[in-house]
Amino acid sequence: MHRLAMNTTEPYCRLVRDGQTATLFLLGTWQLAHLGPIDAALAAEDLPASRVTLDGAALDTLDTAATLALLRRVVAAGAAIGQLANFKQTHAEVIRVVRGRMDERAIEPVRRRRGALAALGVQAFELRDLLAGHLDFLGRSACELANVALRPHTLRRRALTAQFEQVCLNAIPVVVLVTFLIGVVLAYLLGLQTEQYGANIFVVDGVAIGTCRELSPIMVAVIVAGRSGAAFTAQIGTMLLTEEIDAIRTLGLSPMRVLVVPRLLALAVALPLLVFVGDVAGIAGAMTVAGPMLDIMPSTFLTRLHSALPLRHVAVGLGKAAVFAVFIAVIGCRMGMSVSRDARSIGISTTSTVVQSIVVVILLDAFFAIFFEELNV
Amino acid sequence: MNAVAPVIEVDSVVTRFGAQTVHDGVTFSVARGQVAAMIGSSGSGKSVLVREIIGLLRPSAGAVRLLGTDVWTASAGELAALRHRFGMMFQDGALFSSLTVAQNVARPLIEHAAVPPDLLRPLVRLRISLAGLPIDAATKMPSELSGGMRKRAAVARALALEPEVLFLDEPTSGLDPITARAFDTLLRFLCDDLGLTIFVVTHDLDTLLAIVDRVIVLANGKVIAEGPVKEIMQVDDPWVQSYFVSRKNPGRVAGHHGT
Repeated sequence: MHRLAMNTTEPYCRLVRDGQTATLFLLGTWQLAHLGPIDAALAAEDLPASRVTLDGAALDTLDTAATLALLRRVVAAGAAIGQLANFKQTHAEVIRVVRGRMDERAIEPVRRRRGALAALGVQAFELRDLLAGHLDFLGRSACELANVALRPHTLRRRALTAQFEQVCLNAIPVVVLVTFLIGVVLAYLLGLQTEQYGANIFVVDGVAIGTCRELSPIMVAVIVAGRSGAAFTAQIGTMLLTEEIDAIRTLGLSPMRVLVVPRLLALAVALPLLVFVGDVAGIAGAMTVAGPMLDIMPSTFLTRLHSALPLRHVAVGLGKAAVFAVFIAVIGCRMGMSVSRDARSIGISTTSTVVQSIVVVILLDAFFAIFFEELNV
Repeated sequence: MNAVAPVIEVDSVVTRFGAQTVHDGVTFSVARGQVAAMIGSSGSGKSVLVREIIGLLRPSAGAVRLLGTDVWTASAGELAALRHRFGMMFQDGALFSSLTVAQNVARPLIEHAAVPPDLLRPLVRLRISLAGLPIDAATKMPSELSGGMRKRAAVARALALEPEVLFLDEPTSGLDPITARAFDTLLRFLCDDLGLTIFVVTHDLDTLLAIVDRVIVLANGKVIAEGPVKEIMQVDDPWVQSYFVSRKNPGRVAGHHGT
């Protein structure tokens, strides 16, 4: 549209000196789109450090951005604007407005810089506050759960079912896919080793115990942390942002009861069920490669499975899953309740939920490994 | 830029959401250098119409011309060029919450205008000042501002690229009367001193009476009246009459709304 916009040789102004008086003629379209060339043209003129008359007879348009560039150049040269000659009413008005609002005060943000040690200290305190907050939230959730246990009719069944569908049923496909493939990979890797000793059949033992006791609970918990934990934070955080949580309080309801309890219960039931689904899918995955690769037929596989997998391994996996679920739900809900009131903090909190949940799941799992080892379970 | 051609032309626009018809042939135009206001009951589709004018929501039928460009048949390039020529203030500001006010205002300038680096900060300051914000608001985050200041910051951002038209969705809603009147003064100043055309969706009777050149009344999916405020007050329509009733008979309270 403005083919000449970038052409700095296009004249935007011309300075004419006549004895004591200097007149700056402004020409053409003084618009934001031409700001660079306009500023360059002004810089090229040798403005005198005295009064300058402005002539706007040949001016087509003048906007505030271009006026600002003009006034800044005039001030920088130590000049002052004298008369405005031949200006259109609207252009003179723009100059008047911008002159009245020239403000050279800095708006630099105050930057706070910390040394490495101070940053470490701040982070340590933030971590302490975070953990204390989680603990507080866990306690309040427990009180609320006890409340619901004493008065079962206060349980919001509809919310519970809706959450259960969301966190359990809808998660089944992805859980099956992931654990099935884990079973395939595990059987393949174990098979490569056991084949060397002619001990193919022990693949069943390895896969069954490994999947049910460790891999399925961990994998499913990580999936659920990413799926449901993040969703809890985002949902509750958005409700906080739109003042829905305040509305719940104002109506005499408890956000803990309305929002947290259904999610916590739903997840505590859903995660063990999903882990069981994962156990089955993982073993099925192992079975599909065991036949062609290791000559273990499904019937042999199942017979061996029956003797190689005592129920306690499965029970340990499911029990761990229930504990993981409580922690994931508490972290997810609590991070949602503690977002500050802007969109960015929802993103930060959601990310934080996923990271915290996964770290906690793995820490708990390590704890359980030692715990059960000592108990000889 | 023909001074005679209207800035905004809405031509028999029809909007349907499923079975619900929101607009059933809306036609009006706004001339350059005016402050035009659209009024209508809640749910009459005022905000929807603004979104259709500025190219955010495609109407089911009809045409919208903004600054001579047909918004819904324009190419992507034409639309991009058009977007530099108008500004929009959304109802609650819609400021980018991760940026300070100054960064919010600077964003369109950095993206779309080749501003010399040493002019950027002064230009941002000028925009903030034109919107009537104190300069120390520049370094604040949107969440630290009051509702009125957020709206002014949104105006500053809308003004960044020197628009010819400024759209505002309920600029005075949620503001106290003093702040609201100051906002009216700001709009009148932008129109009179900087030559902007202003299109405002409002419920605020005081805004209408104080600064608006032309009122467009939207009801039942159509424009039922348009003209200067004084003429609109005389229009024989139950909704319009109950809208203005509190000003005609100061003793009575406008208790009910017609449909």
